[in-house]
Amino acid sequence: MEFSHYAPLWGEALLTILAVLVVLLGSLMKNSGKLMGYLSAAGLVAALALVASNLTIKPTLFFFDTISVDALSQFFKVVFLVVSLLVVIASMSKYTGKGADEYFALLLFATVGMMVVSSSVDIITLFVGFELASLSTYALAAFDRSKKNLEAAMKYFIFGSVASAFMLFGFSLLYGMAGSTHFVDIAAASLANFGPATLVALLFVIVGFGFKMALVPFHMWAPDTYEGAPPLVSALLAAGSKKMGFVAAFRVILIALVALRMEWYMAFAILAALTMTLGNLAACWQNNVRRILAYSSIAQAGYIAIAFVVIGKAYGLAPTTAFNGIPISAAQLGLAGALLLILGHALMKTGAFIGTAQVSSSVAKGSESDPDDISNYAGLAKRAPITAFCMLIFMFALAGIPPTAGYIGKFVLFSSAIYSGLVWLAVLAILNSALSLVYYLRIISYMYLKEAAGPKIKEQKGYVVALVLTLIGVVWIGVFPEGFINWALQAAAVLLPQ
Amino acid sequence: MISNAISLLIAIPLLGAVLSFFAGTKAKFVALIASLIPLALSLQMYLEFDKTSKIMQFVESYNWVPSLGVKYTVGMDGIGFPLVLLSTIVSVLVIIYSWGETKKPNQYFALLLLNEVGVLGVFTSLDFFLFYIFWEIVLIPMFFLIGSWGGPRKDYAAVKFFIYTHVASLVMLLAIFALYFTYQMPDGSRTFDMLTLLAATADKTIFPTAMLNIIFAGLLLGFLVKMPAFPFHTWLPDAHVEAPTAGSVVLAALLLKMGGYGLFRIILPMLPHVDKAFVTIIAIIAVISIVYGAFMALAQKDIKKLVAYSSVSHMGFVTLGAVAFTWMSVTGAMFQQFSHGIITCVLFMSAGTIQHVVGTRVIADLGGLADRMPKFAVIMMAGFMASLGLPGMSGFVAEFMVLTGSFATLPVYTMIVVFLSVVTTAAYHLWAMQKAMFGPILKKYMNVHEPHAYELFSMAMIIVLSLIFGLQPGLITDIMGTAATQVMEPVMTLTQMGVI
Repeated sequence: MEFSHYAPLWGEALLTILAVLVVLLGSLMKNSGKLMGYLSAAGLVAALALVASNLTIKPTLFFFDTISVDALSQFFKVVFLVVSLLVVIASMSKYTGKGADEYFALLLFATVGMMVVSSSVDIITLFVGFELASLSTYALAAFDRSKKNLEAAMKYFIFGSVASAFMLFGFSLLYGMAGSTHFVDIAAASLANFGPATLVALLFVIVGFGFKMALVPFHMWAPDTYEGAPPLVSALLAAGSKKMGFVAAFRVILIALVALRMEWYMAFAILAALTMTLGNLAACWQNNVRRILAYSSIAQAGYIAIAFVVIGKAYGLAPTTAFNGIPISAAQLGLAGALLLILGHALMKTGAFIGTAQVSSSVAKGSESDPDDISNYAGLAKRAPITAFCMLIFMFALAGIPPTAGYIGKFVLFSSAIYSGLVWLAVLAILNSALSLVYYLRIISYMYLKEAAGPKIKEQKGYVVALVLTLIGVVWIGVFPEGFINWALQAAAVLLPQ
Repeated sequence: MISNAISLLIAIPLLGAVLSFFAGTKAKFVALIASLIPLALSLQMYLEFDKTSKIMQFVESYNWVPSLGVKYTVGMDGIGFPLVLLSTIVSVLVIIYSWGETKKPNQYFALLLLNEVGVLGVFTSLDFFLFYIFWEIVLIPMFFLIGSWGGPRKDYAAVKFFIYTHVASLVMLLAIFALYFTYQMPDGSRTFDMLTLLAATADKTIFPTAMLNIIFAGLLLGFLVKMPAFPFHTWLPDAHVEAPTAGSVVLAALLLKMGGYGLFRIILPMLPHVDKAFVTIIAIIAVISIVYGAFMALAQKDIKKLVAYSSVSHMGFVTLGAVAFTWMSVTGAMFQQFSHGIITCVLFMSAGTIQHVVGTRVIADLGGLADRMPKFAVIMMAGFMASLGLPGMSGFVAEFMVLTGSFATLPVYTMIVVFLSVVTTAAYHLWAMQKAMFGPILKKYMNVHEPHAYELFSMAMIIVLSLIFGLQPGLITDIMGTAATQVMEPVMTLTQMGVI
C-alpha cells in the first residue's frame, strides 16, 4: 500500500505528530510557550489546507473499513479545525509561560480525537476517538488549576465517564446483536431482527450521546463546566467537543438504527422541544455571562436536534422542494440545516467565549468578585470597543438576526421541519428564537447602554485577531450563504442519498 | 438615467455610516454629505420617474441565495417612491438639526445614517427576505439612539421598544413564511418575490380563505404595531419620551411610515381575498386610534408625549383611508403618510428645542416663551397649525382627501372621526401652543434666547415644504394617484366585496 493512498488522512497524521512533538520540545526547551503556540497554529492551518483539498471527496474507506473520509466528515473536520485554530490564536495571548506546551498538546490531541470521531464508521474507532477527545478536554478544563477549574473539570469528568459507560454498554449490545462492529452490518442486522434488545441499545446510545450534546435532561453538567473551566477551554467545549456528539449521533443513529426511525422521531421531538425551551428560559435568569452562553448553547442543541426529528419523520419520503430546480427531500434539508447551524454556532460560540475570556482577563487574580458576572460587562463598549462590537454581532447572530451565520442555519433547518409537516415544531423554534433575544439583548444593553464599570481593558493581540477572524466568518456565511448551503447539502447526501 | 440608482441610494448612507463612525468630531460633515447625495439622487429620480406608469421603476434584480429563492430585487412605484423622497429629505434635515450634538457624535451620526439605510431598504425591497432584513435593521440603530442618548428611563424604553416591535415583526415573519412555504413555483422551488407571492394570494386553490385569513392577520399585526394603531401603540409614548430629539423625529417621520407602507404594499392587495370582517376590524382600529390618540394628546402634561399621541391620531387617518378603499381615500392616506412625515418633524424638533433651551417639557411649567424666542415661536406655531390641519398646508389636504374618500364607503366611521377628533385635535394643538409660548413671560425664563440657527433652519425648511405640498399637492399626489389606481385596479370595491 502506498503512502499517498492515505492522503485524505494526512491532516490527522500531521496533527498527531505535531502534538507529540510539542510535548517533546516543551520538555526540552525552557520558555517555549510562544513557539508552541505558533507551531500549533501553523499545524492547524496546514491540516485545514489538507482537509480542504479533499472537501467533497467521494466516500473512501480506510483501515479495514473503520474510517470513512467523505463530504460529511470533511465538513465536521473543517468545523473542528477552525474552532481549534481560533482557540489557539486566542490562547497565544494567555498561555505563554510554563505549561503552555502541555496546553497546546492537549488541544491538538482533542482536535485529532474529534476528527477521528467525525470519520468513524465503526463503533470501536468511534469510541477511541471519543475518549481521546474527552480525556484531553477533561485535563484542559482543569488547566488553570483554580478551585473553580477543578470543580468544573471534576463534574465534567464524572458526567462524561458515566456517559461513556452508557454508550459503551449500548455498543456492546449492538455488537452482540449484529456480531460486527461496522455500522453497515449493525444496520443490516437491526433491520433483520428488530427486538427489545435493539431498543435498549438505542436508548443507551442516545443517553450517551445526549450527555455530549447536552440535550435536556442530560445537560446539567454543561453550565457548571462552561462557567468553571478556563474560558478559552469553554469555547472548545461548547463549539468543538459538543459538535462531536452530533456527528457521532448522526452517523450511529442514522446508519445503524435506520430500521427504528418511526420509533424514535417522536421521542426526539419531545427532547428537542424541551431542550430549546428550557435552555432559553433558564438563560433568562442567569447573571453569569458564561452561564448564559452555556444555556444558550443548550438551546441551540435543541434546535439542532430538530434534524433528528425531521429525518425520522421524513426518511425515504419523496422530495418536497427544489433548490435551483434540483429536488430535495425534507430529510436531506433537515440534516443540511443542522450542519449549517453547527457551523454557524461553532463560530458564534467560539467568538462569544473568547470575548468572555478577554473580559475576565481584565479582572485581577484573587479578586473576590465573579469575573464573568454581567455587571462586569457594563460599559464594555467604551472599555474594550473591539471586543464589545464583536460580541454585539455574535449576540445578534446567536439570536438568528439576518444577515449573519445564525439565521441561515435556522432558516434551512426550520423550513425542513415545515416541509416534513412538523409546523408546530418550527413555530415553537421560531418563538424560542424570539425568547432568546431577551437575554442576548440584556448582555448588549449592559455592554452598550450602561456606564463603564471599570477602567479600560487592554485588548490583547491574540484575542483581537481571533475575534475579528470569527466576526468575518459569521458575517461572511450570513451574506453569502449559497456556497455553504450547497456544501452542507453535499455533506448531508453522504448519509441520505436520494 | 443613473443605473443601479436604488442600490446607490442605499449604499451611500451605509458607507457614510461607516465613515462617520471613524471620523470622530468631523462626523457631522461626513454625515451631511452622505445624506445630501441620496437627496440629490432621489430628486433626480423624481424628474425621471414616470408618473403615469403602473409598473415598478428603477428595478434591479440579482440572485442572492438561489437555492432558497432569495433575490436582491429592488424597485419603486408610486407607493414606495414618495416615502423614499420623504426619507432622504428628513434624513438631511435631522442631521442639520443635530449639528450641535457633542456626546459621541461619530456614533450618533452613524446611527442616523444607518436608520436611513434601513428605511430606504424597506421602501424599495421587492423580495420578502430582503424586506424583512431591512425591517429588522431599522430596529438596531433606533435601539442604540434611545438607549445611549435617551432620557432618564432610556434603558427601559429602548428594551421595550426593541422587544415589542421585534415580536410583532416575528409574527409578520411567520406570515411571510406561510406565504413562502405554501406557494410553489412550477419547478417545485420556492420564492420570496413579493409581487409573485402577492399575486398568488388571489388564487383560492393555493391559498384557501381560512389560511389566508391567518396569514393576513399576522402581516396586519406586524404593520399595525409599527404604525402604531390602538391597542398596539403602548411602546410609542415610552420610546418617544425617552428618545433624543433626532431619534424621535426619525421614529415618527420614517419608522412609523414603514407600517403604513406595509398596508398599501401588502395588505391592500390581499384585502379582497380575505374575510370581510377584516374591513370592519381595521376601520374600528383606525377610528379608535384617531379619536383615542387625540383625547390622549389632550390629556398630556409633557409636550413631547402630546406630540407622540398626536402621531397615533394622525396615523389613524392612514389606516382609515387605506381600508375605506376608494381612490380618493387611498391617495389621501398615502399623502397623509408623506405629510405627517414632514410635519411631525417640526413638532418633535420644537419639543426638543424647548427641552434644551428651557430645561423642561412640562406644559404647565412653560409660558410666554414667544417673548424671548419670536422666530422659534413663529415656526413652531406654523408647525402646529400644519399639524391641526390648517388649509393651505399639506396636512389639511391629506386629511380632507381621506375623510371625503372614506365618506363614500364608511360614512358612519367617518362621521365619528369628524365629530370627535377634529375639534379635539385643534384643541390640544392650540392649548399647548398658547400655554407654552404665549401669555406673559415667566420670570425664570427671562434669560432664554433663540435656539441655534441650524435648528431654526431645518424647522423652517419643513414649514416651507408643508406649504409647497399644501398649495401644490399634485407634485406628489399624481404619483400616489397612479399607485392607488394600480392597487385597486385588479380588485373590487368594498360594495362589490359585500362589506357595505
